[in-house]
This record gives sequence, structure tokens and C-alpha cells, in this order.
Amino acid sequence: MTASALLVGLIIVPLAGAVLTPVVGGRDGARACGWATLVMVVTSGIAAALVVHVAQVGPFSAYLGGWEPPYGIELRFDEFSASVAIICLLGLLAVVFSLRYAAHELPPVRIGTYYTLLLLNLTGMLGFVVTGDVFNLFVFMEILSLSGYALVAISGERTAEMAAFKYLVMGAVSSLLVLFAIGLLYALTGSLNMADISARLSGAAEAPAMLALALLTTGLMVKAALFPLHVWLPDAHAIAPSPVSALLSGLVVKTGLLGLIRVYQIYYGAKVLDLSALNTVLVWLGAISIVMGAFFAIFQEDIKMMLAYSTISNIGYIVMGLGLASQYGMIGATVHIFNHALIKATLFLGAGAIIYRTGYRNLTDLRGVGRSMPFTTAAISVGAISIVGMPPTAGFLCKWYIALGAVQAGHPVFGVALVFGALFIFVYYIRMVNSFYFQQPVHPEILEVKEAPLSMLVPILILAALCLVMGLLGRIPLSFIEPAVTRLLGTVGG
Amino acid sequence: MKRALTIAMLVLLAMPLLYAMSQLPPHGSATSPAYTHISPRYLERGPEEAGAENVVTDVILNYRGFDTNGEVTVIFTSLAAVLAVLLAGRKGDERPVREPAAEPSPPSVVVRFVVRLLGPFVTMFAVYVIINGHVSPGGGFQGGTVFGALVILITVVLGRSVAEKLQPLGVRRILQAAAPLTFVAVGVLGLALFGDYLAFPRDEALAWVRTSWLMVIEIGIGVGGAAIISAIFWQMGGDR
Repeated sequence: MTASALLVGLIIVPLAGAVLTPVVGGRDGARACGWATLVMVVTSGIAAALVVHVAQVGPFSAYLGGWEPPYGIELRFDEFSASVAIICLLGLLAVVFSLRYAAHELPPVRIGTYYTLLLLNLTGMLGFVVTGDVFNLFVFMEILSLSGYALVAISGERTAEMAAFKYLVMGAVSSLLVLFAIGLLYALTGSLNMADISARLSGAAEAPAMLALALLTTGLMVKAALFPLHVWLPDAHAIAPSPVSALLSGLVVKTGLLGLIRVYQIYYGAKVLDLSALNTVLVWLGAISIVMGAFFAIFQEDIKMMLAYSTISNIGYIVMGLGLASQYGMIGATVHIFNHALIKATLFLGAGAIIYRTGYRNLTDLRGVGRSMPFTTAAISVGAISIVGMPPTAGFLCKWYIALGAVQAGHPVFGVALVFGALFIFVYYIRMVNSFYFQQPVHPEILEVKEAPLSMLVPILILAALCLVMGLLGRIPLSFIEPAVTRLLGTVGG
Repeated sequence: MKRALTIAMLVLLAMPLLYAMSQLPPHGSATSPAYTHISPRYLERGPEEAGAENVVTDVILNYRGFDTNGEVTVIFTSLAAVLAVLLAGRKGDERPVREPAAEPSPPSVVVRFVVRLLGPFVTMFAVYVIINGHVSPGGGFQGGTVFGALVILITVVLGRSVAEKLQPLGVRRILQAAAPLTFVAVGVLGLALFGDYLAFPRDEALAWVRTSWLMVIEIGIGVGGAAIISAIFWQMGGDR
């Protein structure tokens, strides 16, 4: 099996699996879940092989249809694409978690469709991350967005439908911006291949190149929910079924950021524009996102709403790291894309398990749940410590690197914003842990609920364990991504 | 006030957009990169190396076939999204099944007769559009839509039970997935035989294989498109 065949398989296996889900599963939820699990196991195997391959030989490509770029479509697997590993891992765990959750929370006839959409969403993300062609990127963005809107609405509750509609309107506009930008890039360069655009953009007119950059950044930052483009996020992420929240918050918003990295690759390489103005804007917006997200999270009673606002903070960290355009900042940001996905999935799946068992989602109602669901709440606590960024957890190293990056870029003040944000975040996660363990239950029956079923508990515990392991082995992803960041920044020329 | 502010914002936003557009290579100029970089190869060598007389077909099914593979998946996703939203609501509060207020008066004999008469011709036109996509504008998407429109017409005039006979329940889910599945099948065949996903035979002697594979994809897109259009339409009329 050659690497390029595996690279294609990474997209084709979940794609074929998704369209076959209704055929295999029918309206039998358990069978659809089994099928989706199988598909994700195979896909995860492929992803693991690809990540190992890229670590050994560096970036590689697959030419679809055998047409060499720029005539055909190129799939490009570089170190940034290694995020397929986390996409597959979270996808697999979310599917397993859904077995009991979907049967409990969703209208029975929709369960088959639910797994179809989950697999389509994962296909879209995998394709988005590995493609080397801007129009192909757009196609996969549509698959993942469209399935994302539907997954938010799938519970059929009025609020869910409203949240999905808001998400749809914002998302559709952002897709349009990206498409328009792709049109501009094609008019300027006559090409759709990213590397080729980058090479040909240098001679192009400045104003349209700048407009394309602005549209791409805006469009992708809507997907990433950077302040002030975040308004769709809290409702959509809080109201969606919990496994979907984990995917949306952990992964889907990150595709906007990985898209931004691709845009950087194009524009840094082209040297047509000085990106420092854009970077300044991004760093500021990132800083505001950190503080605003944390500030709003403090006032949330609903546990999932709180987690959703915390995603906005963390997107802020990552965007700030990318915008700093310094070695440390960028490495920290890229690794935080990965680590935050782990952490937020732990938290959302944990919250989902608690809501599944107790039926409550407000912190006041959930007082005392730590005594009846010890494993789940322990996992959530690990997640909470990680997201605050305390050593030795996964959140610490990347935030440390981003802070170092701020110093390295000569803006230590942003490092202060980062610590300040972490303090805020600490406050509201302490509130959560406090109500789980140390407060008198409002509802006495909460002490009687059972621990989450195994199909939920195992994914949560795996994720919580990874939060710790990634903290201890934090060097590995940092050194893995370093060559890619050096290449990217090396093209800046200083 | 709000309206004035909106208009002011739009004008303000339009100015940089218009300025940037004015800096683009002039539209229709023979020296613009859009006409000089990759398109000459498509135009000059498309028909012989990609397998279809129609260059547009060459680009969407062969040179950039993977995009189309993605697009048909988007269409499939749209069906799944419609099902996610419209399949009988949450348990407990089943949405009132909307029985038509009274059985609408059946269309007149003339209408029914004309639809029956048109059916075969519309079908033939759909097939023509699908197959002729090779040499002239048309192809699977368009032909599939034409056939889907016929299914909708039959549903409206002759009733859903008649229309559903065109897609037996047992194979309906396969038909809906036909377009992506055809792509995957042809793609994997290309991978197995020629080493790249969606690779078509390049050899001149195998031109007929190339053309017939393209035809298979066109038919797959057509079948899948028609099945999805009718499924979405039926779903809007309530579950069965």
C-alpha cells in the first residue's frame, strides 16, 4: 500500500462508510453505530500510518486521477495535516459514546441519519485538512458545514432548530466569502493548487490579493468563532447532542484555524503582502476572545453553555499564537489545536454523561453529582485542570509556549493577557468542580444516580488519561510540528 | 435610522471590494492568467487525453473529478440534513401528521392523461441529456434533475404511491447513494489498475474504456440526483 493510496483512503473510507450507513443500518441505531465504529476504526488505522509516515519522510502528496498539479487535484499531507489523528480519535470515541446517548436523546427514526451525518462531518474535516487545492478545500468545507448544521438541529427541539438556523446563516455567509476569495485567487493566478497559487501570486496585483486574504481570513474566522464572529457558537455548541458538541467544539472550529494556516502557507510563500497588519489584528482579537469568552463563561449556569464559551477563549489563545508569527507562538498554537480538542472532548462527553444520567444541566442542580458519578466527574476535573493550563496537563505546555511566543515577538503584554485569561478560566472551572464535590445537593436523588454506562465512561476516561499523558509527553508533538513551523516562518524571511 | 446605517455600512464595504475588483486582470483579456495558465491544456488536449468531447465534462469528471466526487457527497449530505430536520420530530410530541385538509380534488382526466403521455418522453430526454453530456452541455446532474422533476410531477398529479413504484423501497437507499458510490467504485478501480484514485486509462487504444467509465459516472450522478430530489420532495410531504 503506497502512502498516496493510503492518503486517498483516509477520505474515501469514511465517505463510502457514510453513504452506506443508511443501507447497512437502516433505522436500527445500534447497527448503524456498529458500522460507524468499524469505519472509524479503519480510518484511524490509516491516519496512524500516515502520521508515522510523515514523521519519517516529511510531507508527501497524492495526485488524484494521476494528473500532476496544477492540472489536477493534489492531496498534500504535511505536519499540520497530522491533526487527522485527533479527528479520527475523537470521531471514533464520539461514535462509541453515541451508542447509548443517541438512543436516549434523539427521536428513534433519526438515529440512522445521525450516524450518517457524523461520518460525513468527519469525512469533511479529514478532506479539509489534507487537501492541497483551494477549491477542493471549499468542497470539503461544505460537507463539514452542512452536516454540522444538521447535527445541531437533529434533536428536533425548538431551541436546537433555532441555534442551527443561526449557525446556518453565519456559516453560509462565511462559505460565500471563502468562495469569493477562491474566485479572486483564480483570476489572479489562473490556478487552484495552493503551492502553485503561492508561487504565482508574487507578481499579482496587490489590491485583489489583499481582498482575497481579507475574505479568506474573515470567512475562516467565522468558522473558528473568533470574537466578534462568535455569536453563533454558544447556542449551537451548547444545545447540540453532547457527542456532537464534542466534535464541533473540539474539531470543527479548528478547521477554520487549520484553514488559516493554509492561507498563511500561501501568502507567506508568495511574499506579495506584508502580513504584519493582519497579524496585529488577529493577536488583538485573540486577546479579546480570551478575555470575553472567559468573562461570559463565568456567568453561565448551564454546564454546556459554560464549556461553549470556554471554547471561544481557547480559540483566542490559538489565534493569538498564530498571529504572533513567532516560532514559539506558532508551535504552541498548533499543538493547542490538538490538545484543546482532547480537553474539550473530555469535558463535553463528561457533561453529556452527567446530563444523560441526571437529566440536569445547571450547576446548581448538579450539586453533589461527584459523589454518585465519581469516575466521570474525576475525568471532568482532569479536563478542567488541563484547560486552565496547570502543569503537568496537556493545556500547560501550549499556553506556556504561546506566552513565550508573545515575549519572543516582542509583545510581552499579550503574555499578560494570556495569564489573566487563564485566571478567569480558573475561576469558573473551580465553580464547576466546587458544585460537583463540595456543595450540598439541591436534589437529593442526585446521590442515587448510577455511574455512566461503559460505552460512555470508557471514551471519557481514555480522553482524560490522554490529557495527562499529553502533558507529560508534551515534547513529542512540539518537536513533531517544529520543522513545519520553521518552514512556514522561514519563508517570511526573518 | 437602522436602515440608513445598514446602507452606509454596505457602501463603505463596497468601496474596497470595487477597488480591488478594478485591479483584477481585465475580463476577457487573452493575457489574463485564467486563460493562459492551466486552461490551454484543458482546451487543447482535453478531448483526447480526458475522454470526452465536451471540455467541461473533461474538467469536472476527469481532471477535477475528485471535486465532483465531493460535490455529489454535498448533495447526499443535503438529503441527510433534510431527513435530520424533517423525520418525525422528537419522541413524545409527534408532530401532527398533516393530512391534506380534504383530499384535494383529483386533477382532471386531461392533466392525468397528459402526464402519463409525457412520462416516457421526459425520461428519454433525461437519458439523452445524461449521455449527451459527453459532446454537448448536459450530463448527470442536469439529466438527473430532469428525471427528478418527472418523479415530482407524477407525485403531484398521479399520487405518491404511483411515483414511489419508480424507486422500490428495497433499493431506494442505494439509489440515493448512487452518485458517491459510483465515484468510489470507479475511483478505486483506477487506483487498482492505474495506481491513482480516479485515474482513467491514458492509452489511446483504451479510449473506449475511458469513455465508458465517464459514462458510468454520469449515469451514477443522474440516478443519485434523481433519487435525492424525489426523496427530499417526498419528505417535505411527510413521512411514510
